[in-house]
Amino acid sequence: MHLDIYGDTLTALVTAATLSSTGHQVTLRVPAGQVADDLDAGRMPYQEPGLEAMLDQQQQAGRLLAGSADEMPGDRAEAVFLALSPAALPFAESVIDQLALRREHSWLVVNQSNFPVGTTESLQQRLRDGADAGVDRAVIVMPEMLQEGAALQSFMRPSSILVGCDSDWAEVHIREILRPFNRLRDVMHLLRPREAEFTKLAINGMLATRLGFMNDMASLADALQVDIEQVRMGMGADPRIGEAYLYPGCGFGGLNFSRNVMSLADTLESSGVGSELLEQVLLINERQKEVLFRKLWQHYRTDLHGKTVTLWGAAFKPGTGRIDNAPALKLLDALWAQGVTVRVHDPKALPTLRAHYGERADLLLCDDPYEAARGADALMLVTEWKDYWSPDYPRLRSLMAQPLLLDGRNILDPDFVRSSGFVYYGIGRQ
Amino acid sequence: MRSRTGVPADTVWQQLTEHAASLQDIHLAQMFADQPDRFARLSRRAGPLLLDLSKQRLDGRTLGLLGSLADSRDLRGWINRLFAGEPINHTEQRAAMHWALRVPAPQPSPVQQQVQEQLDRMSRLVERIHARQWRGVTGEVITDVVNIGVGGSDLGPMMVCRALEDASDERAVRTHFVSSMDGSQVSGLLRRLRPHSTLFIISSKSFTTIDTLYNAGTARAWLQRTLGDDPAVTGCHFIGVSSATDKMDQWGIPRPNQLALWDWVGGRFSLWSAIGLPIALRLGMQGFRDLLAGAHQMDEHFRSAPWRDNVPVLMALTGVWNTNILGIHAHAVLPYDGRLKYLPAFLSQLEMESNGKSVTRDGEPVATGTCPVLWGEVGPNAQHAFYQLLHQGTEPVTCDFIAPARRYHEGRHDAAAAELLAQHELALANCFAQSRLLAFGEAALPPGDQLPMHMRYHGNQPSSTLLLDELGPFALGALLAAYEHKVFAQAVIWQINPFDQWGVEMGKRIATETLELIKRGTAGGDMDSSTNGLIDAVAGAVDRRRRLRG
Repeated sequence: MHLDIYGDTLTALVTAATLSSTGHQVTLRVPAGQVADDLDAGRMPYQEPGLEAMLDQQQQAGRLLAGSADEMPGDRAEAVFLALSPAALPFAESVIDQLALRREHSWLVVNQSNFPVGTTESLQQRLRDGADAGVDRAVIVMPEMLQEGAALQSFMRPSSILVGCDSDWAEVHIREILRPFNRLRDVMHLLRPREAEFTKLAINGMLATRLGFMNDMASLADALQVDIEQVRMGMGADPRIGEAYLYPGCGFGGLNFSRNVMSLADTLESSGVGSELLEQVLLINERQKEVLFRKLWQHYRTDLHGKTVTLWGAAFKPGTGRIDNAPALKLLDALWAQGVTVRVHDPKALPTLRAHYGERADLLLCDDPYEAARGADALMLVTEWKDYWSPDYPRLRSLMAQPLLLDGRNILDPDFVRSSGFVYYGIGRQ
Repeated sequence: MRSRTGVPADTVWQQLTEHAASLQDIHLAQMFADQPDRFARLSRRAGPLLLDLSKQRLDGRTLGLLGSLADSRDLRGWINRLFAGEPINHTEQRAAMHWALRVPAPQPSPVQQQVQEQLDRMSRLVERIHARQWRGVTGEVITDVVNIGVGGSDLGPMMVCRALEDASDERAVRTHFVSSMDGSQVSGLLRRLRPHSTLFIISSKSFTTIDTLYNAGTARAWLQRTLGDDPAVTGCHFIGVSSATDKMDQWGIPRPNQLALWDWVGGRFSLWSAIGLPIALRLGMQGFRDLLAGAHQMDEHFRSAPWRDNVPVLMALTGVWNTNILGIHAHAVLPYDGRLKYLPAFLSQLEMESNGKSVTRDGEPVATGTCPVLWGEVGPNAQHAFYQLLHQGTEPVTCDFIAPARRYHEGRHDAAAAELLAQHELALANCFAQSRLLAFGEAALPPGDQLPMHMRYHGNQPSSTLLLDELGPFALGALLAAYEHKVFAQAVIWQINPFDQWGVEMGKRIATETLELIKRGTAGGDMDSSTNGLIDAVAGAVDRRRRLRG
């Protein structure tokens, strides 16, 4: 089949690679931005095992083409995938509107983006407006369930495929598109579009709630002088709980956890429906993003004026250069408000930070993590990049003005850090 | 012995008295019948304010005579002295320059530079709090601000915050007000707040006001129980607003958290100064500056408009006419807008503390009555309370009806706008109907109805109506400044000093003495028999309680 994929997410790239590998003719249309720039420059925007090789292979085989996101699919296109970031809803709407203008054309649109609950149905409404009679049109939703690090496998050998679809015609087509990945037994789960979207919301909500709960426990652990890491391992050993998403830290960011995604669509919200628990979880998370600031504030007895602080990591998670809702943003605002100069190192996010804040005297972006620590009164470890797991402590000590280390991800060993001559604060551990 | 309605033997007073006699038998209904364009003749506009005097028992000649009275008391000269910053508060040797707080920047004079400097400091504090960057001692963001003050340091900011809640800045934090000496407000509030995220403003011009210092002490102890007694707790959780820098220092408020005002601002005229910090926190600095701008426009109007068009002067002279010539000694303030809930209390303080005096500037007993008893309530609620007395009682009362013409047109009211607009129209209808019934009495009813005596309305009760374009910062600023200048103009006519308040000083002093006795547990016969008896009764109640507990 001829398929067009719009998007700059990991899902967009994985979908393009895997579908073309089974013989589909795929055009990948990446909207302008960091990801498009990376691809144009021959860099892989996502560090996903096997992805780069598979994309190259398919391009060489001629089954995967790069197209412009500003252009519409050709007449032979049988399905259009939208694998966009949550913030790109207006773009999705404009694509749909342009497709809708071609009155005689049937369209199957597969939405893989994390948009609020109810979006797929409203996109379908837009798509169907003004279509000729007898023309089949549907927008269905296939929420992404990729496990980062094993994304290709999880797409090609899924334990379940969630599809939100209310059209028999669309079901026939999506089954055909995904047939190679659904052979051993039928794992496709069909629900109404808003049910599928809601399931994804519930999954994100559950994960966020687990993190929020652990951060709450970490605050208690701080007060009770308990090491939350011991507690975490004990909890994770219980099979009813499991180990995933139990890591306390200085808050989670990223677009999937934005208020926009975690809420129901505006149409539903005006009826007064909202999740109190998720509201609280997001609120706790916002507070948690400032936890390192609070520890620093107390350490220096409420006077931070004129100090220098180093941030290791600004991206909202390792492996990406993105800073959407990242804790580093709240830390920067908090530190600057107290007259602190901040030196930041991040393996990928420095260009994004520079674009976000522009030039300012109290922000120094450093390509080298140790250069970033020079003259600092504190070092805050904010994103758990692999680069930071085994620091050269003696070198840090000699560079920093004050040996103070705040570990926002609990990745260092407190005793070893202390024996290296530092004052250590973790999240829920002394 | 002074008669309250008795007037001096001046020519103008005599003329006014004779003129009143000529109007005495003409009912307000008749005045309207005789003069179809009465509203056009007797209403005036100043900026966003419309003043309707047509339901007052007066005519064009009255206003002319009252203008001569103003001239004979040298009102023009006194206005000039006020705005020249002369020490017209002579008993305290101070100027009264609340108007200077509203002069827009930039002005070269040293006073204006001080004013702008404090506004800039205020602006920085507000910005820091609104940006969620004011930190408590544990580094938490401040979410609640509690204003601790009393009198002018409480009523003004609280009244304005409530009145302008629809103009709130979207970044505004929650604001609370605590004033009562007995601790009942502070104890209730502290149960609901978290120490980590609560900031207190101690607002006291002298920083000696006992009510405020006790409440502040209770607040500090509450913080320290949770946060420890490090001096940083006071440093992070208190802002001080006072003219007494040294006393704020002693209390432990760091200099950057101090805002200044000056002895030339009276407490009840101080909401325009740093005392208005809670207002700025609610409205944002732009809203606060709009409030100042509205007041400044009224200042300019008061200084320049001729008496016959001068809204504050007409309000003052009408009041003098009612009090001194018609002999009406009660005045009700009746806003037809729930947001003006605290305006009557605010104006009670402004007028009664300013003009509740009986000695002239020359130290002689006043020859005329001065400030009437003033009270009020949100009009529609008062209709179910004391309007009975207004309509059918034996005590005559003058009224100020206050209402905004437009409401609920802002975007934020989208969803419920239709229903709320209907409620606003209902309130306006009631406002206009009540003043009409007070003025016309039965003449306002359909003709031909013969009512039994107990259902009759005699009418002929004078009132003014103040219609605001809408209740926003600018219009409210203008309204409040108009009342301030009304008070000043009346004080000039009555030859009294409106800017001191010696009548409230002595009570504070003898309370200190009484407190000693209550703490001792017995009056021991040192006081009058009533005070002795009351103190001993308290001691007895405490003792019985102790015995019950064993």
